[in-house]
Amino acid sequence: MAASRRNTSQRLTLVILLLASITVITVAYKGEARRLVGSVRNGAGDALAPVQRGIAAVLHPIGNLFAGMVDYGGALSENQRLQLEVGQLRRQLIQAEQAQAQLNQLQSDQKLPFAAGIPEVLGQVISSPSSNFDLTIEIDRGTSNGVGVAMPVVSGAGLVGTVISAGRSTAVIQLLTDPRSLIGVRFGAGNVAVAVGQGEGNPLQLQDVSEASVTRRGAPVVTSGLDTAAYPSGIPVGTVSFVRHSGGSLTSEVLVTPLVNFSVLQYVAVLQWLSPA
Amino acid sequence: MTLQTWGRLVLVALLAALIQVGVLNDIVVGGAHPDLFLLLAISAGLAAGPQRGAVMAFALGLVADLFVQTPYGLSSLCYVLVAFAVGLAAGVPAGRAPIGFQLATALLGGVGGTLLYAGVGALMGQPSVPRHELVVVVAVVTAGCVLLVSPAYRLLEWTVAVVAGAHHDPAAFVSGSAR
Repeated sequence: MAASRRNTSQRLTLVILLLASITVITVAYKGEARRLVGSVRNGAGDALAPVQRGIAAVLHPIGNLFAGMVDYGGALSENQRLQLEVGQLRRQLIQAEQAQAQLNQLQSDQKLPFAAGIPEVLGQVISSPSSNFDLTIEIDRGTSNGVGVAMPVVSGAGLVGTVISAGRSTAVIQLLTDPRSLIGVRFGAGNVAVAVGQGEGNPLQLQDVSEASVTRRGAPVVTSGLDTAAYPSGIPVGTVSFVRHSGGSLTSEVLVTPLVNFSVLQYVAVLQWLSPA
Repeated sequence: MTLQTWGRLVLVALLAALIQVGVLNDIVVGGAHPDLFLLLAISAGLAAGPQRGAVMAFALGLVADLFVQTPYGLSSLCYVLVAFAVGLAAGVPAGRAPIGFQLATALLGGVGGTLLYAGVGALMGQPSVPRHELVVVVAVVTAGCVLLVSPAYRLLEWTVAVVAGAHHDPAAFVSGSAR
């Protein structure tokens, strides 16, 4: 009798908790409650940011100790400086190649906007995503530094993603490999398409690429900046890594390998640019 | 649950948030990292049984969801089911769960909890994870659960103030006097 009552009580508790969870999910899904949850999440991120910075400051040198026993501080600085330079050179190379392709396609007097002219806020990556089903990173710059939601984020090598949440001193960036990420891109001889993320470690897939589009492996891919795009024009995204023209289809399959290595990302720049939309 | 238990649970949740965000998020193997909150939900079921374990898992899920961009409440939903199932299973061997049982529940809870999270997330419109990536995530999360289940179980035992042999006595929970 007592066991039966206990079982009933347990089942009732389970049902109540499941209903409570579903209610929370439903209520927090949109509207004012969603904004409230966003604010609380930003607050939680801000609260933990100093601790994260402290832990990073303690743990990173320990890891680096094994990488450079002698003069590790100097080696680290030198390495970071060189990585930045290599990234900048790659970006310049891609931009130059793309500019040449555009020159071949467009009138010489046409003016093109450049991401390089946009103000930047530099930030340090302080956390990888807390969920394994989430392709985001967190940086130590927020609204107090001029970072806002929907601003594009780049590294020395190219496009990283976009800001999806900004607290006072931290911001969350959705990486371009996230399946929810859609980027208007330009590639090859004036072709435009939408690049869609396919998860961590996977190339981006270009959608709606006409079979007539001419491109080759290794061709640069940059943001198109067309119409109300979420990114300014000319930011390097990646290089074409796979092209397949299927016989019976009107479209081609094109994959793009991002230029940015997300697993070693330490510093990024938030472009203070917002879509006209 | 007593006020003392809730107070300890808040401390455990804060500590878990610090460890997850500050340390575990950076221990990435094949693109995945251990999930401390799922482990705590499993441990809550082990230490407190299905009913109270599920309540604690619900609260832990609400805290865990503060640090991710997935729908708020998704973790609670999954953790409640995991803790309840583990709690029911933990009711079979009387007294304190032996280490072998802890490891087995961590293994099954890690696999089940991760797949449940991915499945419910997909039903809610979250981007689906490619199968080979899901295998890696399940493997890494489960390995983390198995490796850390013993200290996590002890922490949750302390949270509900349970001593060996007392965690199936409802009166001990209600009074909070089981020592």
